[in-house]
Amino acid sequence: MRLPCPYCGERDSREFTYRGDATLTRPAVESEMADYVYQRDNPLGWHKEYWLHTVCRTWLAVERDTRTHALGPVSIARCERVGS
Amino acid sequence: MPDFNLIHKAVLADVRYGIFGNMPPEGPGIRLQACPETCLLHVLGAPGCGDLFTVLTARPACHVRVAGPSQWLIASEDPITDVVIRDLEDLLGERAVVSDQTHGRIRIGISGPRASALLAKGTAIDLDPAQFQTGKSAMTLIGHITVNLARIGHDAFEIIVLRGFAESLWNDLIHMGLEYGVDCIPAHLAGKHPSGKITG
Repeated sequence: MRLPCPYCGERDSREFTYRGDATLTRPAVESEMADYVYQRDNPLGWHKEYWLHTVCRTWLAVERDTRTHALGPVSIARCERVGS
Repeated sequence: MPDFNLIHKAVLADVRYGIFGNMPPEGPGIRLQACPETCLLHVLGAPGCGDLFTVLTARPACHVRVAGPSQWLIASEDPITDVVIRDLEDLLGERAVVSDQTHGRIRIGISGPRASALLAKGTAIDLDPAQFQTGKSAMTLIGHITVNLARIGHDAFEIIVLRGFAESLWNDLIHMGLEYGVDCIPAHLAGKHPSGKITG
């Protein structure tokens, strides 16, 4: 799989680290914290997720089809508060 | 009395130098040059600072590399001094902060007719001269080591790598270049060795 870093251009997946679901919102109350930290869906199909481009240290918000690795929009995560 | 004495030395002072691999009759395909640890600064831009590349390259006797969004590395052959850092801070003002990385990162020159072929074994960057022109630089991986890779000539590149990874990367580069013949040149012979000059 190759991911297009908006800053560096297209690079292969070795340069990136998967950093989890981008649709979660940090809960305001303590009682929901365990679910936020530990409970994960395993979605089939389109998924919005964070990837860290480790070489330029930029967090990306990526839409990816988990069945085909087809990519949708890729943006710099700090420019777009995802899931809020 | 300390348990052990701290010794100041260049990180590539004790690595392997000389000729390695299959040497073709026309000479080494790769020349690895340890660069003197003179001056390396990291410029970290404030939010909204814009592209400071042209501001930084306007200064004399320095090489500017792009090191990520709003980040640049500046290398110079002139030794680092407080005055150099202060002048740069004055120039940048509120737009960026300067961190001295002379102790933290080092430079390795890679040149020779097979330099692109060697690097293509390790990096995802398209090294075609039409895509990655002379003067361009980028952050990338070589193997699993993060480096800043810059093209300084058609067949000449320079790598900036964290000091702790430098020896490992040096050995990797020799290993990757065995089929081309590698001439490894220590820092104090920069420009003096018959084949040691990194030419553009």
